[in-house]
Formats: sequence, C-alpha cells, structure tokens
Amino acid sequence: MPPSTDPPSSPHSPIDRTKILILGQRRSGKTSIVQVLFNDGNPKETFYLEPTTRIAKFTYEYHRHPARDMGLSWEHLPRRPQPPIAVCFYHLRDRYPGDLLRLGSAGRHPSHADSPHCTLQDSYQQPIARLLEFFTTAFGENPDMPLEVFVHKSEAFTDDYKIENFRLIHLRVNEELDDISPEYEQMPLNFHLTSIYDHSINEAFSKVLHRLIDSLPYLEQLLNVFVANSQASKTFLFDVKSRLYVATDASPVDTGTHNLCCDFVKTLTAFGPLYKSVSESPRRIQECPNSKPLFYPSAAMSLAPPSMGTTLTYHLITPQLALLSVLPTLVYESKRGLVEYNVVFFREGVQEIWQVEKDARTGQL
Amino acid sequence: MKKKVLLMGASGSGKTSMRSLIFSNNPASLTSRLGATIDVEQNHVRFLGDLILNLWDCGGQDAFMDSYLTTQRSTIFQHVGVLIYVFEIESRDMSKDLLYYRDCLDALRKYSPDAAVFLLVHKMDLVTGDKRAALEKKRRELQHESGDVDVTVFGTSIYDESLYKAWSRIVHAIIPNAAVLTKHLTTFAETCNATEAILFERTTFLVIATSATTRAPPSPSNAYSALTSPNSNSTTTTTVTTPNGTNTDPGANVPVSAETADSDPHELSATRYERTSELIKALKHACSRVREEFHVLEMELPEFTAVLDEMTKNTYVLLVVHDPSIGASCLVWSCPVACVGGRGADGGGGYIETAALKINIRLARKKFEELQSSSVVS
Ligand SMILES: Nc1nc2c(ncn2[C@@H]2O[C@H](COP(=O)(O)OP(=O)(O)OP(=O)(O)O)[C@@H](O)[C@H]2O)c(=O)[nH]1
Ligand SMILES: Nc1nc2c(ncn2[C@@H]2O[C@H](COP(=O)(O)OP(=O)(O)O)[C@@H](O)[C@H]2O)c(=O)[nH]1
Ligand SMILES: [Mg+2]
Repeated sequence: MPPSTDPPSSPHSPIDRTKILILGQRRSGKTSIVQVLFNDGNPKETFYLEPTTRIAKFTYEYHRHPARDMGLSWEHLPRRPQPPIAVCFYHLRDRYPGDLLRLGSAGRHPSHADSPHCTLQDSYQQPIARLLEFFTTAFGENPDMPLEVFVHKSEAFTDDYKIENFRLIHLRVNEELDDISPEYEQMPLNFHLTSIYDHSINEAFSKVLHRLIDSLPYLEQLLNVFVANSQASKTFLFDVKSRLYVATDASPVDTGTHNLCCDFVKTLTAFGPLYKSVSESPRRIQECPNSKPLFYPSAAMSLAPPSMGTTLTYHLITPQLALLSVLPTLVYESKRGLVEYNVVFFREGVQEIWQVEKDARTGQL
Repeated sequence: MKKKVLLMGASGSGKTSMRSLIFSNNPASLTSRLGATIDVEQNHVRFLGDLILNLWDCGGQDAFMDSYLTTQRSTIFQHVGVLIYVFEIESRDMSKDLLYYRDCLDALRKYSPDAAVFLLVHKMDLVTGDKRAALEKKRRELQHESGDVDVTVFGTSIYDESLYKAWSRIVHAIIPNAAVLTKHLTTFAETCNATEAILFERTTFLVIATSATTRAPPSPSNAYSALTSPNSNSTTTTTVTTPNGTNTDPGANVPVSAETADSDPHELSATRYERTSELIKALKHACSRVREEFHVLEMELPEFTAVLDEMTKNTYVLLVVHDPSIGASCLVWSCPVACVGGRGADGGGGYIETAALKINIRLARKKFEELQSSSVVS
C-alpha cells in the first residue's frame, strides 16, 4: 500500500501546511513508520512494502495542524529544503544481513549475530556521512529547523546492545559535527530510539509533533489545571487515530504509563465496531441526550486492587483528540462527577484554542 | 471434578504455542523461543469453581508418538474427556500425520469412547491464497479419515482471534450444564436491558456462555445456540477482518438451525466473541508489562455502552447495552442506585450510566457464584 497522494484541497485552502521531511537509508523503515502511525498499518504487514523510489507525499490532519510528510531516500536528497521543515532521519542497521551489505563496501561486514560490536564503525560510516551532509545543508538554509534522528528497528536487539549503539551514534554525530565547525553546537538536534513493534515510535513521533504545535503551551496549561483539580497523576491529549500525544501535563512522562495509554486507546478503537448494532446504534446516536450538549464517548479502565489501584479514563474532546488521565480508583469512584465537570471545562478550553487557531488560519483575525 | 484433555499432533505443529497463549497469556511473538516438548507436559488449570482441566501436552516427535501408541497406550488414552489433535495447514508429511492420527483415534475409541474430538488445522496465517477453500479441503480430508467418529474441525492461528474461537468451543463442550448458565445470563441481560451478556473465564478469557439473542426464545437444550448463531450470520456489515486482512472464520462447524441463523436483529459482528477474548487478553498483557493487573473496563461509546467486570471468582461478564432509553438522566453524582433494576426514573435522558450496570453486576454476583458451583458439580 503506497502512501496516498495529496487529497483534493479542502474548502479552507490554501492551508499553510507544516512539512515533515522523512529521510533515511533504503529499507530503514520510513514507509513502515508512516503506515503504522497514520494508515492503521499492522507492523507485520510492513514486511511486504514496496521500496519508495520517488518522493511520496501524504497529508495527515491532526487537530488543526495539517502536517505534510514526505518519504524519500538519500538518492533524492533535495539541495535546498524549504523552511519550515522538521527533519527526521532514521537509521539502525537492519537485522537482515542483505541490507547490511548494501550500506558499506560489500562483503566486509559480518552479520549482527556473529559479532555485534565490530560492525558498528564500518556499517554506520556511510549513513552518518549522508546525515551530516544533509544536516549541515539544512542548518545553513534554516538554523531553526528542528532535526530529529530516529535510531530505528531497536526491538530486535537486547537492551544493552541497543542502548550502547544508540549512545555511540549520538556521540559520533556530535563529534563529527563539532569537527566540521563549532557553530553546529547550536543545531536543534534530538535523538530517539524507536521501533514499530512497540510504542517507542509513538512516543518519539509525538515529541517531533510537539515542536510544530504553536498552541502547545496553552494546551499544557489546561492539562496542568486539570491535573491539579482532579488528583490525576498523569494526563495526555491523544490523537486517537495515530495514537500520538499532542500534549501532556508538566509531570515527567513514564514510558510504561504512556504505553498503557496507547494500548488502552487501541483497544477502545477496536471495540467500537464489534458491538455496533445495525438496528439499534443509529437510533441510539439519534436520540442522544439533551442533557449533554453532544454525545461524547468516554471509557475507563480500572486496575487492581479496587481500593488502592488506579483508573485510566478516556474522554473524547474533539472528533480526533481524547483526554487520557490516570486517577486513583477511589477518586474516580467517589468523585466521578467532579472529574467529568473538569473534563467539560477542559473541553471548552481546547475548543476555544481550536477556534482561535482556525480563525487565524483563515485570516479572520 | 477433573477433565483430561489430550493435546496431540506432529512436532512443530504449534501445540505448546497455543497453550502458552491461551493459558499463560504470552504474546504470539515469543512462541518462536519455545523448545520442543519432551514426552508429556501435564498442566492443571483450575477453570470454573471445581472444574479442573488436566491438560496433557504430548510432545510430537516420532519416538514419543510411537511410545504413546504402544507401551503407554492405556495410560495416555484412558479417561480422556477431550482429544485435541493439531494439524499444520502446510504439513511437511501429511500422510505420516494421518497415520498417527488414525492410530490415536483407534486407541481413543477403545479406552475413552465418549471423548469429544476436536481437530485444529493450525497456522492458517501461512496460507497465501484462498484460506476458506484451503480449510474446506482439509476439513473434508480429515472428516473422511475420521470415519464414523464425530469430529469438529477449526482453522486456527496464533496471530488472530481464530484460536480463541476454537478453544472457547472446546471449553464449552467440557462445562457441564452450560445451558443453565446461558439461561440465567439471558435473564440477567433482560433485567439490565442489555442486548447481550457474555461470560468469560477469568484467566484465559475464553467464552463460557452467552445470553441467547433476545428475539428467538432459546430452548434450554440448545446450549450452543448463542455461541454458534453469530457465526452463521453472513449478512453482517461489520465483519471484522483479522489483522492480516483475511477472514479465517472456518464457518459452520456445527449445523445451526435456520431459526437461530437469522435471529440476531442487531447484526453484530460475527467474530465479536473471539475478538473480545483476543483484545482483552492483549490489554491484560499490556497491564502486566507495567506490573499492573486489569480489573474493570467500562465504555460509553456512540454505538453502545458496555461494562466488563468480575462476575464470580473465576469469571468476568461483559454487558452490552444499545437501548438509549434506559439508565436515563441518572448521572452518577446524583443517585446511581435509582437505576438498579434496569430502568431509570426518567427515560428522556438517554444516558446510560455504567455505574448502574456495575451495580446490577454486583447484585447478580451471589446468584452466579451459586449457579457456577452447582453447574460444575452436577
Ligand atoms: N525489526 C524491525 N523491522 C522493521 C521495523 N520497521 C520496519 N521494519 C522492516 O524493515 C523493512 C523495510 O521497511 P520499509 O518501510 O520498506 O523501508 P523504507 O525505508 O521505506 O525503504 P525504501 O522503500 O527503500 O524507501 C521491512 O521489512 C519492515 O518490516 C522495525 O521497527 N523493526
Ligand atoms: N506461522 C505460525 N507459526 C506458528 C503458529 N503457531 C506456532 N507457530 C510456530 O511453530 C513453531 C513450533 O511451535 P511449538 O508450539 O513449539 O510446536 P510443538 O512442537 O507442537 O509444541 C514455533 O516456532 C511457533 O512460533 C501459527 O499459528 N502460525
Ligand atoms: Mg510442544
């Protein structure tokens, strides 16, 4: 399934889309990432993806920020990328020996299983050279362009091995940049360890997204207020379809909690169609309550033990965004009304921001 | 009460993998690390109340098979409640598989003539072409090989929900008086104004019983009706495809009467039971990865409202409600107790309160606790 081309322009066009360039070696997993995050792809199916031989564009609308995403390989490296662009470059050696050979000078590199460490130097040399070449060009064009490096396909390795490799790549890129010129210290560069077989790709891509959201501070502030008033220990504002979080409150993100929230959203999305009734569901939606201005889906998952455990709640805020929060079960059980009241308050806040941004975009401000 | 379950089939056919998925909640991706089973691995799995499954996972290498069929013949084939025989869809040596299979059937007929026989055509995910046709062909072949022994054939794979469907049916066959459970679930669903009530075993999340569909009154003797009728419902518009985009539903394994075939006015997804097992197992696994334990799930979605909560010590119940006119405007911070009994004071609100459903489940707990122990003792 190749990524779809640009959809016909929407009524509000021309929309100022934010471009995200996705670059990397062949078979490094670019198309897979796009498929898994934005096209509901199943990681296992990515095995059969056709190679991308030209620039593939596709658009994904989240909240109000349409993002354009281009997948292209080194061969198609544009000389002058136009700002504003966030760049992602992924790379980690493929676990398939055939791909290893293609990277450097053929034949010299033993496969990962034979000798995990000695190949690093050789097999990363060429990709890192390409990366540096691109980054320096991009920095020259636009020093504010955020640059993100995804060290990908990490699930195939042991923790020790992948963290060591990750550290080495990070170090190596920084050192070489430093060698070329000290001015590159200013480069807005981030590194992420990712895989499509777990939620690390969602977490890393979420962080990329955060750099593109103008209203991020306001959303974060709303979440902080929600946390303070609802005794929540953590909140995320998730894009339901891609399972990327658009914002989170000020407390640090714990990967375990993040992953569980991702899985929870995924389960809810899968449940919907299973018990949808052909005869009853439409009637139910029609007769939606007058007491609530709109029918807002919600859900909660409680963890054992009931008295001391936590509850994950889910409330849809806009057609795409859902508020996930982690609460003590006791609070959820005894003060659910208060929590829901706070959700209403939060929802109004988000919708206000949305409206302002929409007006700004269509030039009505 | 103990039920002996034999799990047999050629080496590498996937027996231990399915056991570790169903009974140990391991993900499919880890099964490639399993080594070959040496001789027989016995497991006792407490199922419902006093019902204990005594699972014999029989290593399938030729040397072991030969010994099961000779020196160990009586030990292996005595007191068997269920024989599950696993065939790989793309077997390397089908004629040898069949040779052993027929020999096992002979032994079973002699030592445990009343045992139920289930045949699993496994690794269906490997079929690249028409899965349904491939399975049909295998089914006919296996039925022919089984002669006059009654066998039930399922197509399965550890990578989709088909495994849960087959095992739910196997377990259903083992539970005595499952029909009584169905009857009480139906009453319970009606009390809550629920479209459906589904009872799951707690650790495996296999479906034990479901309420009968509301329109066609179920006959108590037809314990399978609720389990089988959705499978025959070919008109459903919400059929969920398996992760690899194909539908491996092996179709009618048990003849379903015309009456039950179109008794589902809701046309709910045909694979919903096994998909629910699969989804909840995955969610439980996600919880265990962060050292948490799943407890309750409640959903108020545009299409329906549902609560999944503990029913008894060993079971979970899923209540699915579509009717928007119940539960009423009873918001939880006012008085959820007003909703108990199914219908709120004011039907205009159309807002179903999951808290009310949870209270109903709590009230039904004792009854089902009793029922379950009596249905198991029988
Ligand atoms: N182990 C592992 N394999 C992955 C991961 N992501 C992608 N792959 C596999 O890597 C292979 C190549 O992925 P693609 O997405 O086709 O690579 P690409 O970068 O788009 O390659 P081009 O088409 O040449 O641009 C596929 O077999 C994927 O299944 C990952 O996180 N882990
Ligand atoms: N493709 C595929 N492989 C499977 C499936 N089930 C099990 N396997 C694989 O088959 C191999 C043998 O499985 P195992 O359970 O050890 O077989 P046993 O010898 O019968 O116990 C393992 O590598 C499993 O990962 C399946 O449904 N599909
Ligand atoms: Mg085994």
